[in-house]
Amino acid sequence: MAKQEQSGSIIQFASFESAVDESFWHKLSSLKLNKLGIDDSPIPITGFYAPCSHTQVSNPLTIVAESFPSGTNKELAVPTISHGNRNRCLVPGIVYNTNTIEDFRKLEKQKLLKEEAKKIWEDIHTGKAVEDSALLLRFLLISFADLKKWSFHYWFAFPALILDPPATLVDLKPASQWFSPEEAESVTTACNEWRSSSLTADVPFFLVSIASNSYSTVRHLTDYEACQGDSQKLLFGFYDPCHLPNNPGWPLRNFLALICSRWNLKTVHFLCYRENRGFADLGLSLVGEALITVPQGWRDRQCVPNVVGWELNKRRIESRCINLATSMDPTRLAVSAA
Amino acid sequence: MMLSQKLHEAFKGTVERITGPRTVSAFKEKGVLSVTEFILAGDNLVAKCPTWSWESGEPSKRKSYLPPEKQFLITRNVPCMRRAASVEEEYEAAGGEVLIDNEDNDGWLATHGKPKDKSDEDDNLPSMEALEIDKKNSIRSIPTYFGGEEEEDIPDIAEYEEADNLVETDPATLQSTYIVAQEPDDDNILRTRTYDVSITYDKYYQTPRVWLTGYDESRMLLQPESVLEDVSQDHARKTVTIEDHPHLPGKHASVHPCRHGAVMKKIIDVLMSHGVEPEVDKYLFLFLKFVASVIPTIEYDYTMDFDLGSYSS
Repeated sequence: MAKQEQSGSIIQFASFESAVDESFWHKLSSLKLNKLGIDDSPIPITGFYAPCSHTQVSNPLTIVAESFPSGTNKELAVPTISHGNRNRCLVPGIVYNTNTIEDFRKLEKQKLLKEEAKKIWEDIHTGKAVEDSALLLRFLLISFADLKKWSFHYWFAFPALILDPPATLVDLKPASQWFSPEEAESVTTACNEWRSSSLTADVPFFLVSIASNSYSTVRHLTDYEACQGDSQKLLFGFYDPCHLPNNPGWPLRNFLALICSRWNLKTVHFLCYRENRGFADLGLSLVGEALITVPQGWRDRQCVPNVVGWELNKRRIESRCINLATSMDPTRLAVSAA
Repeated sequence: MMLSQKLHEAFKGTVERITGPRTVSAFKEKGVLSVTEFILAGDNLVAKCPTWSWESGEPSKRKSYLPPEKQFLITRNVPCMRRAASVEEEYEAAGGEVLIDNEDNDGWLATHGKPKDKSDEDDNLPSMEALEIDKKNSIRSIPTYFGGEEEEDIPDIAEYEEADNLVETDPATLQSTYIVAQEPDDDNILRTRTYDVSITYDKYYQTPRVWLTGYDESRMLLQPESVLEDVSQDHARKTVTIEDHPHLPGKHASVHPCRHGAVMKKIIDVLMSHGVEPEVDKYLFLFLKFVASVIPTIEYDYTMDFDLGSYSS
């Protein structure tokens, strides 16, 4: 069903969605009141995501109280969140929390987005993104916490490097149709093992190598060269937060940028890895073949590609606002407790 | 919160402080769990249904009788495609519900209790489409914190229209990425919500306790009151109340655990009368199955395609 009239069309990626747990705003408020004061320098935070695990909804990038670094100094940028929780793949992010609504509005959003894009671009060129692939998912959050009204203005961006010309799609279909039954069985087993080992459960980008006897293995990106000899088919897999049957999710964008600039491939087979109720589901997962034309100036490390990624709010280009007075305002809490 | 509820909370808090957690198993006798059994059953849930995981919650709210990394269980981003109220209309039409326990009229309801034989009676039932079009009872708007009526302080969102040029005309970005139900008409967009469902251990009642945090279709937090629309209407505001979460900030809807032990005891008795010896590590599967009768449209995972216990015969 996905196959028809897709040939040669531009790949359209479904945007990442954000979800903010209430605990994040409580933590930000207490940090602001008790520690940060008027210091508005950016703070490194950690977001969480997981592959799509329901047929009807995509998985968002979530931030919670633990997203903030736990050290006593905020310069202690290393979050103490443990690796290995399969439902919490760690994504590095940064928050710019301003002191006033005016400052919030005045933030140079395109500039901030470009700065994050530059970090991703650097990590691609230095090879850091191959070692730690979650760096490809960097996100940006700007916010203003109005602690008089207990309302929070915020805006997420998920920076994606633009391929120019855009990647096109030769073929996209459910993984269960692309693989032979033997391959499908072996890929399912290999993916479930990858997802259940605490060493790899939260590694969102990987390689799927299939030998001529259909035996499949899931391997780290650092094994790319080693895979050249022994695999008959090699796919670039990623945890796809998107549930849509005809579109890959946002993480594939920077992954394609990495693949194209690092390994100089023109044709890429990718696997949008998705789950149903926590287990590999090749009916939901997609396999596609993308054609990439290496963009002009792509070899030049100084020349950072253009970037997109500010999240829309109900299809509009604007920030969001949430009011938590009912759970945070001491006077209201006192009234409801009386 | 009503005064009686407050008094009870205070009493319960005091009892919890001065009594130790249950250590002796009374699973089969009373339908309750010791702390160790809760962890055992939780580990089993996480292993069989990996969308669930243990979390530690707010450090200041940690319970010393639970391991720091296993304070409560949570599954996030669970779809809820329709409001329970509209589903109940369909139940009414399709044969209604039966009480598991009808001694005092506050018992648990078994959904799908008496499913009618659809094959021969479908014709004279109103169709699902007809019911959904009947707008007078369905909930159309989703009040969120973002758009609550009393928040007239919130500045008009139009003020935030961007001065700098953020219009991104990128052909590789898929336009309109709403969480859309299978048939993308306006109605379905409004109906789609997601939930974080968490399970805590209630030391006073010695049973698990379920909490709901809801989000609208653009993943904005729902007022706890709106969450009651996704609770079986027989339970809303009776067995389901809005209270402080023991491990997370804010008010959340919760299925009150006062009758959990009794209901679990009944389920266990039924199993045992069929010669099945229930195993305590399966407790949460049974528990979540009965909770599904309270929140029928929240599609969390409690798959149970394995034996509930060992056959004793």
